[in-house]
Amino acid sequence: VTSTCDEARALLPEHLLGTLEEEADEGVRRHLRGCASCRAEMAALGEGIATFARAAHDRPPPDGLKDRVMTVLGEEWREQPVAIPAAGGRARLAWAAAAAAAVLVAALAWGGVQTRRASVAAADAGSYRNLLEVLGGEEFRLGELSSEGPDRLEGSVVLYDSHVDQSWVVVLVRAPGMFGTATATLEADDGRSIEMRPLEFGETGSAATWWVGPNDLRAYDHVEIARPDGTLLAATAIVPA
Amino acid sequence: MRSREPESDAALMRAFSRRDVRAADTLFERFASRIYGLGIVMLGNEAAAQDLVQDTFVKVWRNAERYDTSRGRLETWVLLVARSLAIDSLRRRVLEARSLEATGRPHESDPAPGPDEVAATRDMTERARRAMGTLSGEQRAALELAYFGGKTSAEVAELEGIPLGTAKTRIRTALLRLREALEEHRDVDV
Repeated sequence: VTSTCDEARALLPEHLLGTLEEEADEGVRRHLRGCASCRAEMAALGEGIATFARAAHDRPPPDGLKDRVMTVLGEEWREQPVAIPAAGGRARLAWAAAAAAAVLVAALAWGGVQTRRASVAAADAGSYRNLLEVLGGEEFRLGELSSEGPDRLEGSVVLYDSHVDQSWVVVLVRAPGMFGTATATLEADDGRSIEMRPLEFGETGSAATWWVGPNDLRAYDHVEIARPDGTLLAATAIVPA
Repeated sequence: MRSREPESDAALMRAFSRRDVRAADTLFERFASRIYGLGIVMLGNEAAAQDLVQDTFVKVWRNAERYDTSRGRLETWVLLVARSLAIDSLRRRVLEARSLEATGRPHESDPAPGPDEVAATRDMTERARRAMGTLSGEQRAALELAYFGGKTSAEVAELEGIPLGTAKTRIRTALLRLREALEEHRDVDV
């Protein structure tokens, strides 16, 4: 058992290089969890390895290797389904809770669209906080979509951000007289974006879409709705509930 | 250039985990040369080195969600993934260990230097090489055996004919010295 800093530090290089026996390695991991100074030393050793790597084996890759790697990654991405947590235990509970919350929050948001959107959202801040406690996520954020003119559209966005489990976004819109599809994109200021499934408008002019994934959504702060040709229909910032 | 912020590493890996092509491109630009060089040094031929780069990026993607910024820099993590794969490959092929000197010569088929933006990287590499020059021969030998050969401290001790404690000290001191020397050279050059 690794109990002192001196003992742990003697083993840190091998821990980093992966040559420790399992029992000793577990002892180091346990010590590191509770010792900031040894974690700092491990970081310093890691920088030593990075320096060694630069000095000893930095060689320009040949032309064509990048294309090859990107092609293989593309194949890998097509073959591997989007990761979904294994059924069972905490993951299953989190999914069930997230699904229940999605329905509830979506209902609240839809009610807001039809009646007093802003006031309902504000009045339900307590509900969101309660849900948050149940789910264990970081925060709920809301957005209100509204545009006038020939493409009049209104709707709501509800985002649940969890840094440890699944995060999700629900978009509900109504655009009387609109048919066909529209895109819904969650965007961050740094240019990253997540495109949701297309909104498909029915005879009532209503449409909904959602996205669920293992992402930390802190950086994503607005949603845009656009026609398939890219014409912007509506956009909204999403702010804490 | 200072090391990148952990947050940017975390953001990059989150993007990569959700199959973002730009993130994959960034990772390739940042790490491919060192993974490829590692393959040349450890595996001894270009084809194996290229396979190592490919396998490393696939493995890094498959494990992207396990990357934890609190446990160290992304650079170290990716390099250790590559090294682990190279050692596995060596074990499978039961190849003889190759020394850095025997395989570290410039290869004729290396492409010409890239555009201006590689200058900063080259400068960093030069500093790293100068930092390497501050190690004693014994420290460097112990580190190469542990890093390239995947040897435990006990195996390094046996190969070098030194006590176990000395082998451990040489590897640890070498790594810490490299980091310190890089900082010193950075301060001098700034």
